[in-house]
Amino acid sequence: MAGILVVAEHFDGVLRDVTLEMIGAAAEIKDGLGGPLAVLVIGQDVDALASAANLEGVDEIVTVAQADAHFDPALYEEAVCAVAEARQVRLVLIGHTAAGMAFGPAVAARLGSGFASDVFGLTLDGAEPIATRSGYGGKVSMDLAFPDKPVIVLTLRGATFKAPEEAGSASIASFTVELDAVPGAGTHIDYLPAPPADVDIGKAEFILSVGRALGEDTNLPQFSALAERLGATLGCSRPVADSGWLPKAHQVGQSGTIAGNCSLYLALGISGAVQHLAGMKHVDTIIAVNTDPEAPIFNVAHHGACVDIFELAEALEREFN
Amino acid sequence: METRELFWEISSLGHTLFFVVAGAAMAVAFAGVVWHVYRYARARRSPVPVHPWRGFWRMVFDVFSQRTVHRRDRSAGHAHTPILYGFLLLLAATSIITVEYDISEPFFGFTFWHGDFYLAFSLIADLAGLGLIVGVVYMMWRRWQVRPAKLAYRREYRGETETRPRARAWEWDDTLFLWALLLIGVTGFLQEAVRLAMDQPPWGPWSPVGWVLAQIFLGLGMDEAAAAAIRRANWWIHGIAALAFIAGIPWTKAKHILAVLGSLSTRDALALRRLPKPAPARAAAADDTEPEPEVGFGSIAQFSWKDLLNLDACTKCGRCHEACPATASGAPLSPRDLILDLRAHAAQSAFRPGANGAALIGDVIEAETLWSCRSCGACMEICPVGIEHPPMIVQMRRQLVEDGAMEQQLRDTLDMIANRGNSFGESPRSRGGWTSALEFPVKDVRAEPAENLWFVGDYASYDPRNQDVSRTVARLFRAAGLDFGLLYESERTAGNDVRRVGEEGLFESLAEHNLEAMGAAKQFDAIVTTDPHSYNTIRNEYPDFGEVAPIRHYTSVLAELLESGRLTVVKPLGRRVTLHDPCHLGRFNGHYDEPRRVLELIGCELVDMPRCRDNSFCCGAGGGRIWIPDPVGKERPAENRMHEAASLGNLDAFVVCCPKDMTMFEDARKTSGHEGDFVVQDLAELVAEAIDLKSIDLKEVPALVDRITEAAATRIADTVADRLAERLAETVTERVLSELADRAPTLTAAAAASQPASAPKPEQQAEAAPASGPWRAAPVTAATLPPYEVPAKEGPRLLVAVKRVGELNPDFAIDEAGGTIADEHFEYELNEWDEAALEEALLLTERLEAGEVVAVTIGPDDAEETLRRALAKGAHRGVRVWDESLRDADPVTLARVLAGVAAQETPDIVLTGAQSADLGHGATGSALARILGLPHAAVVLGIEWDGADAMTVTRELEGGMRQQLTLPAPALLTVQTGGSTPRYATMRMIKQARKKPIAVVDGAGVGLEQAGAVVRRLYEPPKSGRAAMIEGDAEAVAKAIADIIRDKRGEV
Ligand SMILES: Cc1cc2nc3c(=O)[nH]c(=O)nc-3n(C[C@H](O)[C@H](O)[C@H](O)COP(=O)(O)OP(=O)(O)OC[C@H]3O[C@@H](n4cnc5c(N)ncnc54)[C@H](O)[C@@H]3O)c2cc1C
Repeated sequence: MAGILVVAEHFDGVLRDVTLEMIGAAAEIKDGLGGPLAVLVIGQDVDALASAANLEGVDEIVTVAQADAHFDPALYEEAVCAVAEARQVRLVLIGHTAAGMAFGPAVAARLGSGFASDVFGLTLDGAEPIATRSGYGGKVSMDLAFPDKPVIVLTLRGATFKAPEEAGSASIASFTVELDAVPGAGTHIDYLPAPPADVDIGKAEFILSVGRALGEDTNLPQFSALAERLGATLGCSRPVADSGWLPKAHQVGQSGTIAGNCSLYLALGISGAVQHLAGMKHVDTIIAVNTDPEAPIFNVAHHGACVDIFELAEALEREFN
Repeated sequence: METRELFWEISSLGHTLFFVVAGAAMAVAFAGVVWHVYRYARARRSPVPVHPWRGFWRMVFDVFSQRTVHRRDRSAGHAHTPILYGFLLLLAATSIITVEYDISEPFFGFTFWHGDFYLAFSLIADLAGLGLIVGVVYMMWRRWQVRPAKLAYRREYRGETETRPRARAWEWDDTLFLWALLLIGVTGFLQEAVRLAMDQPPWGPWSPVGWVLAQIFLGLGMDEAAAAAIRRANWWIHGIAALAFIAGIPWTKAKHILAVLGSLSTRDALALRRLPKPAPARAAAADDTEPEPEVGFGSIAQFSWKDLLNLDACTKCGRCHEACPATASGAPLSPRDLILDLRAHAAQSAFRPGANGAALIGDVIEAETLWSCRSCGACMEICPVGIEHPPMIVQMRRQLVEDGAMEQQLRDTLDMIANRGNSFGESPRSRGGWTSALEFPVKDVRAEPAENLWFVGDYASYDPRNQDVSRTVARLFRAAGLDFGLLYESERTAGNDVRRVGEEGLFESLAEHNLEAMGAAKQFDAIVTTDPHSYNTIRNEYPDFGEVAPIRHYTSVLAELLESGRLTVVKPLGRRVTLHDPCHLGRFNGHYDEPRRVLELIGCELVDMPRCRDNSFCCGAGGGRIWIPDPVGKERPAENRMHEAASLGNLDAFVVCCPKDMTMFEDARKTSGHEGDFVVQDLAELVAEAIDLKSIDLKEVPALVDRITEAAATRIADTVADRLAERLAETVTERVLSELADRAPTLTAAAAASQPASAPKPEQQAEAAPASGPWRAAPVTAATLPPYEVPAKEGPRLLVAVKRVGELNPDFAIDEAGGTIADEHFEYELNEWDEAALEEALLLTERLEAGEVVAVTIGPDDAEETLRRALAKGAHRGVRVWDESLRDADPVTLARVLAGVAAQETPDIVLTGAQSADLGHGATGSALARILGLPHAAVVLGIEWDGADAMTVTRELEGGMRQQLTLPAPALLTVQTGGSTPRYATMRMIKQARKKPIAVVDGAGVGLEQAGAVVRRLYEPPKSGRAAMIEGDAEAVAKAIADIIRDKRGEV
């Protein structure tokens, strides 16, 4: 009854960053919690993934073979529960991602474990894990404890914990779980890539992003003109893309594009939901404008202002005229 | 004897022929009238009361004085008057002849059309004919030479470069009408002239025009034979022209001659100021059990007879076209064209019902046309024939709202008003926030009586610039010793514009709420407001919903305070100002003079703009337009107005007395480039300067009245409070004791159930394994809920979990000791991801044309509103589970409860949102799937399912990538936003949804078991590492941001 199990997430043969970050988070508390740190890799071609997961602090890598390479929550749930049970782990860490959201809570329900999701702080109180998460758009934080739970399942927020830099010296062992006839499994049909687009948020150096404060598509031209004037690429938050006001390619964030090359980010009328921050909080210089002084975007921005974005856009337009 | 021969040299065949033609013409005209009357008779009842007799005399006055025709187009009026009188007199003349020739002579042998009577008759008829011709000729010259823009039918405001065929038919209609009148007049005189030339009676000069013409003919050497030939032929031309005109009356432009009698008589004195409630449900078809309630006008068949009469009365004079602020700013609406299009459609549909298959909204009138209206009333105010355009527009908007066909921002605003009672989306609790910067407390009428209840309205409460004005008004009232109080958060949007947008159900609930709040308040005598919109609806519309105190606009109040000396001017301002008449104050309610009186009293020089008073040009905000963005690149009405003001020259201030005007013009002044020309100021701000408000100490010297009432009130309150407390203590103890005796067992159970989740009871603790105990998996199970009645399945059942989510107010506080945030810090709404899930469920059943959508929520009583919203959108049934133990339940507990419901419902698909906007666990759905043992997928954007045992699902991955897969049914899916746009539920649909069943299920203490986590601490995240805030207004912020950008680019 000990140790941590990190469930690796990967796509297209590559480990996702969140996996490495979870290993980092786990390594931090491993000693205090007691027991080994194991990484579970479920997949078709597990060897390459296993060696990528072999980072400082990892004691063991457990691999479970899957017939195809496609993620399926039912298979993951089955495999994770089997391994967790066999090893009687204390803590299971899963990424708070589209995949993690699909099987993490199911694992928790099946094990009757302690559970928290979208965790961005993981500490110990003695030997008891304490998870920190937030609510109400990041305006409130809460520390959660899991009394009387022999096993705890947490889904961890991406781009939050630090991945170990050094390689590790873990042993690699395979574990057999029968995944061929798991009830409830789906059948993969196809991947649909993001629609082609005329902007590349990933390459842009200066992004001007608009959020739901835009209100209406007829307000958009004002901001696209401003972006053009400033020489910025026009980005947006999800609701703007959801409403069809801008093509999906403009969306910054977890389910949009990560602003990978950006060094100046101007966020106008964006509250700063975690999924949006995932795409831009690493940027060198972030300027946020929001009428709500409590908006969580100000927690990551370097400069902030509480003014109306329409008035600001007009003023900026004049400023650069 | 002086008279003339009627049928000169007309053979008996000719005679017969004439009567046949005349009879036919009359028949055609009569048939037309009957046809129209038949149409009106079959149309819907008028939704507003009609007082035809009262209206009749006003109509008679308007017609004979030609008052309405002269307004804002004097020359057209001057020309129309002789046409009208000429026509009427000639009609009378012809009737007199007919009476003698066809009735009195043949039947009674009595004649009167001779002698002096004949001479007077000749003279009058001649002058009438002359007037008619002069008027018609002027009209021709005006139409084809002067060519006023308002008479052009090419829809340049819509970018039309060609006149559409139907409009060309209208041109023909106008042309024919004028030429027909001219022809009748001219041939009449010609006939007279040749008759006089041949007969040369001594009384010839009594027909002066004909006589002069005759002299000219004779002078030109016309001989007897030529005259006779003309006389013979022209008689037929004149006669047939006149008869053709008569036949055409109900079918051509001449129709207005009759229709105007009706439309002017049935004018609604309160039109647009008071919109009608929707018509009650019409009896349904035999096979339909529930009668369809009438929401608005979705087809021409729903127009009332009064509307149809209005349409028929239109003369295409274009006055409305000219007055309309939407037309003027290039919006796709011209009130004239709207009426003409409706009229053409109405006529077509009446001839061949449904044959043209055109949808009223969409094909005949476009939605964007309806949304362009600002409900300013300028069109109906100027219409000479009494057409009431805006109420028809609102009726059609009601249909659009019902169909959810409106712009996003409008939808969001309506939702905000429904959820929070204000259009700003602010917390209702901060409605009175503007008073906190005052140096004196403002009464709360809910707690103490006041002479005046100040109904503040949204803009004056929440908009920063207008809050300044509100404070100034409050100080003025204070200085004048005017006793007033507010309803604070009990006030909600008055609803004037909500109603004009067409969201009738929401308006009704706002009116009912505000009336209730006023009813529950302490004693007050009158209402005051600075907002003309609130003023209008409270004054004219609220009485339809309940009793309401008299209301006054602050301009009247200020005028009175200045005139009575309660406010004294110490510094006459001597400024040159212009005044904008707010539509809802002036045109709607006739208060043109009060603000002008105030301006005079404070020593301002008022220069009116060309468009002022009843012709005031709307700021563009009315009719809910303030919630719909104006298209970029076009001149907005407010900007147009700024140019008009600037053209007056040397203005010091543009004075407004409406909060929305302040917002619109403050903005337009900048965007139209008149920032340096003048300032926009509220009337109250000028008054404050003139009385030197700053020098009055409002804190120290509460007005005398105030002090007296205050003292009296405290005394009374003290005595009452003491006595009340005594009585209360007695009765409450009594009641509680007896209740306790009755319900002792249940009470203890409830007390047990309300223990917080964080403190499990000892027996439960024993059940759970201690941390040090052996490792074990203890699968979470569905909660056992008390059984409730579940109807038998008919087709697939879709269970959708919906949650009301709380959004924190800006000024929230955490009770860290208790680890809670009090309920009052939240505003609640339906979780947007659940809304997306519900939409998917509804789309699935719609595509399957079968199935039942059951919405389930976990929440207290007031969460039922959320459930009803889901039912309003189309869910068939609701289930609500609650007990106090579920208040702060974690996702595992929520999933257990939902599983308990699913166990009873046995759904074929379960849908939840991918996450909830409040706590964002993103976990409840997947946990629920596991408990139910259902195949599942998370973050789903689309579902295809034909009801069989597999479905195709599209789920979203990171980076915009998606995966398609098949899943066995039944299954559970957690839905992501953006798959499809959720439909809108009107307040009416929400109210209707009250009829749909909601099962309320007791949560049975489920929250006390098996939770996944316990909250140790709740706190505000540390402020360290937060952004450096740039202070100042938009201008200053823009400068600072520009510096950062330039710095970043290495430009400095
Ligand atoms: C699986 C998943 C993936 C997601 N992926 C993404 C993603 O990739 N990218 C993304 O952006 N979101 C994503 N989201 C959605 C995310 O949770 C938020 O809903 C979204 O980011 C909110 O967008 P917003 O900040 O524009 O809107 P809101 O949260 O509504 O914020 C609008 C802000 O504008 C401010 N405001 C309003 N009016 C004005 C004004 N006139 N002037 C100035 N400020 C004003 C308000 O104060 C508010 O803070 C995802 C969600 C899920 C569940």
